[in-house]
Amino acid sequence: MAQLPRTLTYQGIPVWRHLLVIQWTTQIVSAIVVVALVVWFFANIGGAIQDRDIPYGFSFLSREYQTPIGDHLIPYESSDTFLYALFVATTNTVVVAVAGVILATLLGIVIGVARLSGNWLVSKLALVYVEFFRNVPLLVQLLFWFYLMLTLPTVRDGHVVAGRIYVNNSGISIPWLSGSGGALTWLALAGAAVVIGVVVHRLLVRREVETGRASYPLMAGFAAAFVVGAVSWLAIGAGGEAPFVISLPGPEGRFGRIAGGFTIRAGLLVLLIGLVMYTAAFIAEIVRAGIQSVVRGQVEASRALGLSPLEALRHVVFPQALRVIIPPTISQYLNLTKNSSLGGAVGYAELTNVGITMTQTAPAVSIFILIMLVYLATSLTWSLIGNLYNRYVGFSWG
Amino acid sequence: MSPEPYDRDLTLPPPRLSVGAAGWVRANLFGTWYDGVLTLVCAAALALALWFGLVWVFRDADWGVVATLGGNFAIGQYNTEAACPGKNCFWRPQVVLLLVTMFLGMSWGLTKSGIARTVAILVASAAAAFAFLPYSMEKMGMDVRVLLLANAPALGAGWAIARHTSMSVRWFIILGVAAFLLSLGLLRGLPGMQPVPTIYWGGLMLNLLLAVGGIAASLPIGVALALGRRSRLPVVKVMCVTFIEVFRGVPLITLLFMSQVLVPLAFPEDFPLNSVARAGIIITLFSAAYMAENVRGGLQALDPGQMEAARALGLAAWQTTLLISLPQALRNVIPAIAGQFIGLFKDTSLVYIIGMLDVVEIGRAFILGNPEYLENARELFVFLALVFWIFTYGMSYVSRRIEYHLGVGKR
Repeated sequence: MAQLPRTLTYQGIPVWRHLLVIQWTTQIVSAIVVVALVVWFFANIGGAIQDRDIPYGFSFLSREYQTPIGDHLIPYESSDTFLYALFVATTNTVVVAVAGVILATLLGIVIGVARLSGNWLVSKLALVYVEFFRNVPLLVQLLFWFYLMLTLPTVRDGHVVAGRIYVNNSGISIPWLSGSGGALTWLALAGAAVVIGVVVHRLLVRREVETGRASYPLMAGFAAAFVVGAVSWLAIGAGGEAPFVISLPGPEGRFGRIAGGFTIRAGLLVLLIGLVMYTAAFIAEIVRAGIQSVVRGQVEASRALGLSPLEALRHVVFPQALRVIIPPTISQYLNLTKNSSLGGAVGYAELTNVGITMTQTAPAVSIFILIMLVYLATSLTWSLIGNLYNRYVGFSWG
Repeated sequence: MSPEPYDRDLTLPPPRLSVGAAGWVRANLFGTWYDGVLTLVCAAALALALWFGLVWVFRDADWGVVATLGGNFAIGQYNTEAACPGKNCFWRPQVVLLLVTMFLGMSWGLTKSGIARTVAILVASAAAAFAFLPYSMEKMGMDVRVLLLANAPALGAGWAIARHTSMSVRWFIILGVAAFLLSLGLLRGLPGMQPVPTIYWGGLMLNLLLAVGGIAASLPIGVALALGRRSRLPVVKVMCVTFIEVFRGVPLITLLFMSQVLVPLAFPEDFPLNSVARAGIIITLFSAAYMAENVRGGLQALDPGQMEAARALGLAAWQTTLLISLPQALRNVIPAIAGQFIGLFKDTSLVYIIGMLDVVEIGRAFILGNPEYLENARELFVFLALVFWIFTYGMSYVSRRIEYHLGVGKR
């Protein structure tokens, strides 16, 4: 009776080397450690708050803030609540982020293309720009612009450039359009005019494609939009005053404060200059890398097909380069938004700056939790835009 | 026998305008009419900028503010009466600097590479050159100057130690960490020495300390986070993703500010977590979150065949990760990692938010406290920009050389 020796029977993997066991132990242990740390951390904070009688909670949000905010796009009074003040500060951050993103993109593209220019001087100048502005801390740049601005003449003996532009250490004032009573109506009609123009353009493009007869869709579209816009302008203007008039800045009152026109206050101006020049250097490098990622043969082929260098760039290189350019650029937009938190150093009332001021009269932890949530929401919004774009690119060109 | 393609005697030289200097100028500056216009406009703008820039730098600018601050830029308030009462503590940062040059010398002797040599010699000679600053002997004593000059022999000593002992890279790293801790201890005050509270640490010394510590710690943490994020274990993955996204989603200064507020609450009152340590931890974690994303990019770009082959050869999961995927992934993202290090160094200027006097804040506080220097603020910040630029540009140069040596993009 042959019997297999016991030692040869397969007994399975020992429990402690079983993959599932290892994995689950790791997960459970790490979860316990992290949860314990977090609980310990917050329990300590809770204890400290009780022991030292530190204010906490979010009831302060409905109290009056009672502090002026230097810059505000929407109306704000010192008697408004903390919650509303935080909202005002958020709009200030959004203003700087949106304006900064637009300007940094434009400047970044120009410099990125200049980096690749066949012109030696232009490409070297672009290189110097990138290597300098990318490698110096934003704070140093901001402070440089800030003190440069501070040494400008004061409002009182401020100076005038080109007749109507006022430059002084509290900001720059330029002529601007000022809306009258009919402005909103006209803006609505102008919006409708754009829609009409687009519709006309679409219809004519379709006609051209279907019948082959030249229909000038672009010109007709612009003409339609222009006619609708102009007619509504005249119609509103006939009733009294035109929807928009040019408002010129000028000194007013005893202290020569500048009124009228459009004034960019020093804080916003300095923050924008700093953020745009800093971020543009990064975007320029991304644009350069993106354009270089397009295979040379593509350009040569499109040139061989008879496209001009500009047409080749516009119709062949850029659409392909964009797929490489967009994702890192969006992360630069996110960086710009976060870097706007340095506004406090140059006297612009953005979210972090206002938040730090608020901590003098309200619980700091609560305020900063709210502020961090706002920034997190912003960054998630940017990631969402990035993901949507990636999906869009995947479908249309992939 | 093939026929002669052309008669050599009949070949003409190339047109004079298409070769040599004239040819280069024509091809690179005046290729087309708009290139010509662009060149002229840029050249005019450049000439104007250079003219006004040089006139400002050499005639109009008053660099006195930089000279006035002098040593404060280097070590902040470290050697003031408040920081080190009754004693002279200037020598401690200087000994730390000597350690640094010695280690640069060691890395030169160890790697025998040109780039380590260049960096080591540049740093040591720059440090030694500071001994000859035209300050009066009262403001900058002989002891200070001698210790600065000692950087040259320190470099040589480091080089000799590495060359004449069988020092391995592992020992070099262990010694480096030990020297870093020793430096921290020395600056803080070793037992028996006058302690210097960290609140007085400042100047470029603070920026460099935070940067070196942050760089050394953020890479391993970032790698761990990246691996965790790619892990198949859902709990680990969720925790890593949460950490990365939260730290990447908010500005660094809000985190620093939050640490200022929360840490005294979360830890017992006598907990030894001073402001330098707090700033260092926050900067490190912030940078690690970005590093994790860079490393993840490198891991994702790897050919899965590499991992499959490693598994097929019988390597365990940890061996595959440590020996196969990580080395390749890290090598491929060197530019991103270097960029992150540069970003970390620039970010050390943000510690002003928790009241630390780093090199930028030293300058700003000086202007705030001495309004008569308001007009000179631009000289000050141009100087600071230059200081930062030298370091950051040096870092990016070194990273490019490392990339070249490792043959990235060649295989």
